[in-house]
Amino acid sequence: MSETSIRAASEAAKNFIEPFYAAINDGRPIAPFYINTSALYTQAGHPPADLTINGLVMATPEDFEALLARQRPIPAQGGGPNSRPKTARYEVEAWDVHVINADYRFGAPSALLVPDPTKPDHGASLRQMLMVTVSGTLHLGDDDKLKQHFNDVFILVPNWDVLVKYGAKGHKRVLVQSQTYRAY
Amino acid sequence: MAPTGPRASRQQTTQRSATRPTRGGGITKNRVRVKTDRDGDIAMDSPAAGATNGAERGGSRGRGRASRASARGSTRVSTRLAQLDRANPNRVTLKVLGLRESKAAGNPDKGRRALIEFLEKKASKSKRIIIGRSVLDGEYLWISINKDDAADVLRLSGYAFAGSNLYITETEEKMPGRDTEDISKEAQETKQKLLSVLARRYNPEQRLLDLSALGADEVLSTMGTFDSQTLAEKAFKVLVHIASAQYKTDQEKAEAIQAVSLARNDINDVAQVFSLALSLPDLKQLDLTGNKLDTTSKLNKWQLRFKNLAELHLTGNPVTVQENYVTEMLQWFPALQILDGRQVRTPEEAAAALKALEPSPIAQFPSNIRDGENNVAAAFLQAFFPMFDTDRARLAAEFYDGDTWFSLAAIPDSGRNLPWKSYMKYSRNIQAVGARTPAMVQRLFTNGTVIADLWKALPPTRHAPMDEPGRWLVDCHTFPHLADPSGQAATAMGLMINVHGQFDEADPSTNIFGTRTFTRTFILGPSKPSTPPPAHPYRVLSDQLTLHKWVEAPKSETNATPLTISTPAVVNTPAVVGVAGIPNDAVKAQLIEQLSKRTGMTAQYSRLCLEGAANWNFAIALQSFEEQKSNLPPEAFVAAV
Repeated sequence: MSETSIRAASEAAKNFIEPFYAAINDGRPIAPFYINTSALYTQAGHPPADLTINGLVMATPEDFEALLARQRPIPAQGGGPNSRPKTARYEVEAWDVHVINADYRFGAPSALLVPDPTKPDHGASLRQMLMVTVSGTLHLGDDDKLKQHFNDVFILVPNWDVLVKYGAKGHKRVLVQSQTYRAY
Repeated sequence: MAPTGPRASRQQTTQRSATRPTRGGGITKNRVRVKTDRDGDIAMDSPAAGATNGAERGGSRGRGRASRASARGSTRVSTRLAQLDRANPNRVTLKVLGLRESKAAGNPDKGRRALIEFLEKKASKSKRIIIGRSVLDGEYLWISINKDDAADVLRLSGYAFAGSNLYITETEEKMPGRDTEDISKEAQETKQKLLSVLARRYNPEQRLLDLSALGADEVLSTMGTFDSQTLAEKAFKVLVHIASAQYKTDQEKAEAIQAVSLARNDINDVAQVFSLALSLPDLKQLDLTGNKLDTTSKLNKWQLRFKNLAELHLTGNPVTVQENYVTEMLQWFPALQILDGRQVRTPEEAAAALKALEPSPIAQFPSNIRDGENNVAAAFLQAFFPMFDTDRARLAAEFYDGDTWFSLAAIPDSGRNLPWKSYMKYSRNIQAVGARTPAMVQRLFTNGTVIADLWKALPPTRHAPMDEPGRWLVDCHTFPHLADPSGQAATAMGLMINVHGQFDEADPSTNIFGTRTFTRTFILGPSKPSTPPPAHPYRVLSDQLTLHKWVEAPKSETNATPLTISTPAVVNTPAVVGVAGIPNDAVKAQLIEQLSKRTGMTAQYSRLCLEGAANWNFAIALQSFEEQKSNLPPEAFVAAV
């Protein structure tokens, strides 16, 4: 495995983790991070994302969103993010990423299967399937009334829609195919 | 804030700056110190106890009731002063050596401020560390700090500060009472005046601290030349601090001061008096009558700050005619029942609103095993951990190959005694090492042979047997689209296994024994075709080990059923370990909802089923439902639509 592809994996994971937990902490929707939102994957017959939250299988990312919303009993409104005490905050303390399929092709547009000398690694490192683990502390209630350890495992796949427009900013380069969450 | 402190305070400040220069001017500076100093520096530094008793002996100064109150307040002050000196269990004292040898020692304050700022800044990247009281005593700087933060600061021992190496130790010794230089007479007088103001403004029968119309206070206005608003604001901060310093515990304080009046203080934004929320968060009544608050946004800073506030008065503020006024106040003060004299919530409604603010962790369900039909996960784990404890080389040879990736990530827990050195040099915690660093690449091990070598360097471990109840939590499921190593199919199925558990560790180099909690995640995929055929039909593609902060769970999971090879793994059925003790109401509600969804029973019957012999163990409740469902009456089920 080339160093380029190791670096690409690390970059992709970082670009997923930071906005993902920021969205949770700010109470924004997280459903767009999951494969269910990709028409391309859905039409190619990919099953919906597999979410196991504290041992319970969720039918949709929205079900998980609903659980997260219950951790923040009052919806944030008005004022900046610091205008009120937060009631649930995920603090990432560690993460790691491995490439588990270096040549992921499911649903890929044919343009991305041809080696492209203009891209790093001839475009191969865009086709990675990744396993990311994240750990940290979940702060619940004001003044850290309750602290839990949390651990998330994600299997991520390329978001072809964004990758065909290589270099497009502000889009999710990867999608969650599976999430396994525990907080205790 | 303009540096317009009263004369007495300014002198105090000047005098103070000999030991610790401050950032602003006037009383404000004092406040900065005061606020960071939860030990009640003012009270402790000052030999005020004697003076106060003197005042008491001096008897009435002829102001009748007010002076009696003063005397009563003063007696309380003297007792409290002595108590405050005692150790607070949440604080620890550290001694820092090395300041005198540093370049900062030449500063006017002998480098104290610079050192404190250095420690506060460097101790932790993730949280804000605030050092409380500090005393310079010879070559040592003594600091008082929150217990939780102590480890972060201790970690800085050995760091270079302004050309000198720091040596930091925790100590049980009592902090020296004060700096070598003493507090000035003027400062004592200022404090005495403030204490007398406070005593006059405290009504013990109503437990009311009356800070109304501070700008018009006779004593306060003799202490400096302010316009009324500035005076109110500054006096408020000092008074609230001194008042809260009179009580040994937060509980005692909450008991003694249940009501505060800030009426007629020209307040136009509660930001000016925000610290009330920190000093007296348990207030029951708050009077802001006759101020200049014009929109709810001017109360924004206090959102959800006073969790027990039942009565709030804002009459005479322009905000009261705003459209969203009542709604927002109800939302921001969950216990609020009376607003401007009108009942806006019943006690029951207030209790419910308050309860909704309690933290609600997501319900904990047992292990979720969805590994297909062949018990691959259980078989693999039962082989893996015993072999990891006894024969790591063989383990790697059997399950790992030239393409397996392994890395470990450590989150050191400085609160525990176990050393982390053996792991830290291999820790590929990318959050800590950085996503673009050479370490990120070097600490990834991408070959079974290399991995086996690394494992030799890790301390010996002993994992609990997989069939020991309550020690393990395992979630696993299959997923599509791995590469097929045989090349026969386009893709192959994979299995993700996420394991939470503990292991005992004996570090031979340090001879320290202990237990760690870990999370380990595997991706299994089909073995490559080979001659001789592979030892197992599957191999490890990826193995990520996280050693994290010590947490009791999943050990605390009770009612556990062991994970055994014979456990039938049924898709979507949590099969193995039990749930945690007795969950709180929010979690119970989730369990009821889930059971109802799963069984079709009504919420009421679902609750009965969970409450009974199952004792909120979801798996047992589900099992007893299966056993009993033919005996259940039709009304137990949600009517079919």
